[in-house]
Amino acid sequence: MRRAERSPAPPACGLRVDPYGFERPEDFDYAAYDEFLSAYLAVLTRRALKWSRLLQGDSGLRRTATVKRYIRKGVPLEHRARVWLAVSGAQAQMEQNPGYYQRLLRGERNPELEEAIRTDLSRTFPDNVRFRKMAQPCLQKALSDVLLAYGLHNPGVGYCQGMNFIAGYLILITKSEEESFWLLDALIGRILPDYYGPAMLGLKTDQEVLAELVRVKLPAVAALLDGHGVLWTLVVSRWFICLFVDILPVEISVLQTVLRIWDCLFNEGSKIIFRVALTLIKQHEAFILEATGVPDICDKFRQITRGSFVVECHTFMQKIFSHPGSLSMTTITRLRESCRAALLAQR
Amino acid sequence: MAETYDFLFKFLVIGSAGTGKSCLLHQFIENKFKQDSNHTIGVEFGSRVVNVGGKTVKLQIWDTAGQERFRSVTRSYYRGAAGALLVYDITSRETYNSLAAWLTDARTLASPNIVVILCGNKKDLDPEREVTFLEASRFAQENELMFLETSALTGENVEEAFLKCARTILNKIDSGELDPERMGSGIQYGDASLRQLRQPRSAQAVAPQPCGC
Ligand SMILES: Nc1nc2c(ncn2[C@@H]2O[C@H](COP(=O)(O)OP(=O)(O)O)[C@@H](O)[C@H]2O)c(=O)[nH]1
Ligand SMILES: [Mg+2]
Repeated sequence: MRRAERSPAPPACGLRVDPYGFERPEDFDYAAYDEFLSAYLAVLTRRALKWSRLLQGDSGLRRTATVKRYIRKGVPLEHRARVWLAVSGAQAQMEQNPGYYQRLLRGERNPELEEAIRTDLSRTFPDNVRFRKMAQPCLQKALSDVLLAYGLHNPGVGYCQGMNFIAGYLILITKSEEESFWLLDALIGRILPDYYGPAMLGLKTDQEVLAELVRVKLPAVAALLDGHGVLWTLVVSRWFICLFVDILPVEISVLQTVLRIWDCLFNEGSKIIFRVALTLIKQHEAFILEATGVPDICDKFRQITRGSFVVECHTFMQKIFSHPGSLSMTTITRLRESCRAALLAQR
Repeated sequence: MAETYDFLFKFLVIGSAGTGKSCLLHQFIENKFKQDSNHTIGVEFGSRVVNVGGKTVKLQIWDTAGQERFRSVTRSYYRGAAGALLVYDITSRETYNSLAAWLTDARTLASPNIVVILCGNKKDLDPEREVTFLEASRFAQENELMFLETSALTGENVEEAFLKCARTILNKIDSGELDPERMGSGIQYGDASLRQLRQPRSAQAVAPQPCGC
């Protein structure tokens, strides 16, 4: 197991930066999470053993029920890149297209795309030391290359804000530009609906789908937002666009909430986003209902993405599969169709 | 509520990506330059109570994502805005060239009467300037906009921009040009003015609004 996973303890010698470059919040209270951390370490150790055994066997990483169960319980950090690549189909694409990534970068240039990406380079993970201009090596270059290659590979999407966080996070985990590129392609090209294209129709649709689900499952919350004329896009568009990066705890070595969500996202698809969103809202229903106005509602939706509920990622991940109740793909597909049709009719 | 104010104005900050909209808002609200800011996804907002011409006004300011494709997502938030800061970057002609499109959006989606102040931001980067003060003031004049060059970095003219916009709206209320009670005016009476209103005409007191928009 990596050092990263074994050393969550209070920062020795005042260490405030995790091995992946994320600064721990000044006010991060190690003592308060001590119990969670030591319990989670035991979980991690147990999972690591099980995964080693699974990966040694030759049934390997086919998308079986066992693999699904294993993934829901968390992929060990040292296997994460490999597992994401395998279950998302990115590995296969990469093997079928050797040298493609490098060729894209050597090909024809697109100044407009380059400019759009450049605007956001210094605004990507500003609190991660490895993305700072002075860092050696500086990940801004890798980030720029991956985004550029992707924009050239998929000109219909090009570059959309939010993709920078996703690509940046992939680079930190895989430590490989090419793997990040193919994982980004798996997400944008196959796993997610059209979130990032110029019309953002998939994003708008999924925001409405979430609204519908909340109307059925948590009608009081829906009534509150509807009553104040709050459009769901105001409170949740960042959740979809950033896939919870920069929203839930992103720190890699200890607070693995986002990583654990992505484990399931790569294996099970975009449905996971609804599970996470519904769990966050349901867990904090009473708190949200205290809101008395639009600013207050926005503020509450921000606050529910913080604190011990989301930090304790192992329990959180168990909750996303029980808390929101049943959520079949058939339901999602049906809602997506009707919401999409309604949006198209509005135009 | 602890806060009392005479009016609440809904403001927008619009303009192309990277012009410094979020930094302007941050400077105005927190009085500091946000060195390492993330870019805005969708819509965010902040608020501050200011004193203008003897009135207390709460500004509720909506900061929008600048990337073109987000416009279709953020548009719904334009509705009923009373004022707007229209921002370009003096070191980028491209951001200046898209001003007309942003202005059209504001006037058609918010209100034709929206009070707009043009802000040429990053004034501190004068050596890299691509847009002269003169041509921007001409653009402002032609389009009936107020105009200032600002710097979210040094804070120069940031406060002025918001206050100038608020002052103009107040003047228009005084002169009767703007009617706060018209639907979608982007203006609401605050608690303080409600109390004053209630005394002379208690029977038709304006329903106390939650501090929403
Ligand atoms: N020199 C200088 N840089 C600025 C100023 N305002 C913003 N910036 C920088 O411009 C970039 C974009 O700012 P941001 O507020 O995120 O732009 P937005 O996309 O319009 O919200 C950031 O890197 C800021 O640090 C300014 O007045 N002067
Ligand atoms: Mg911004």
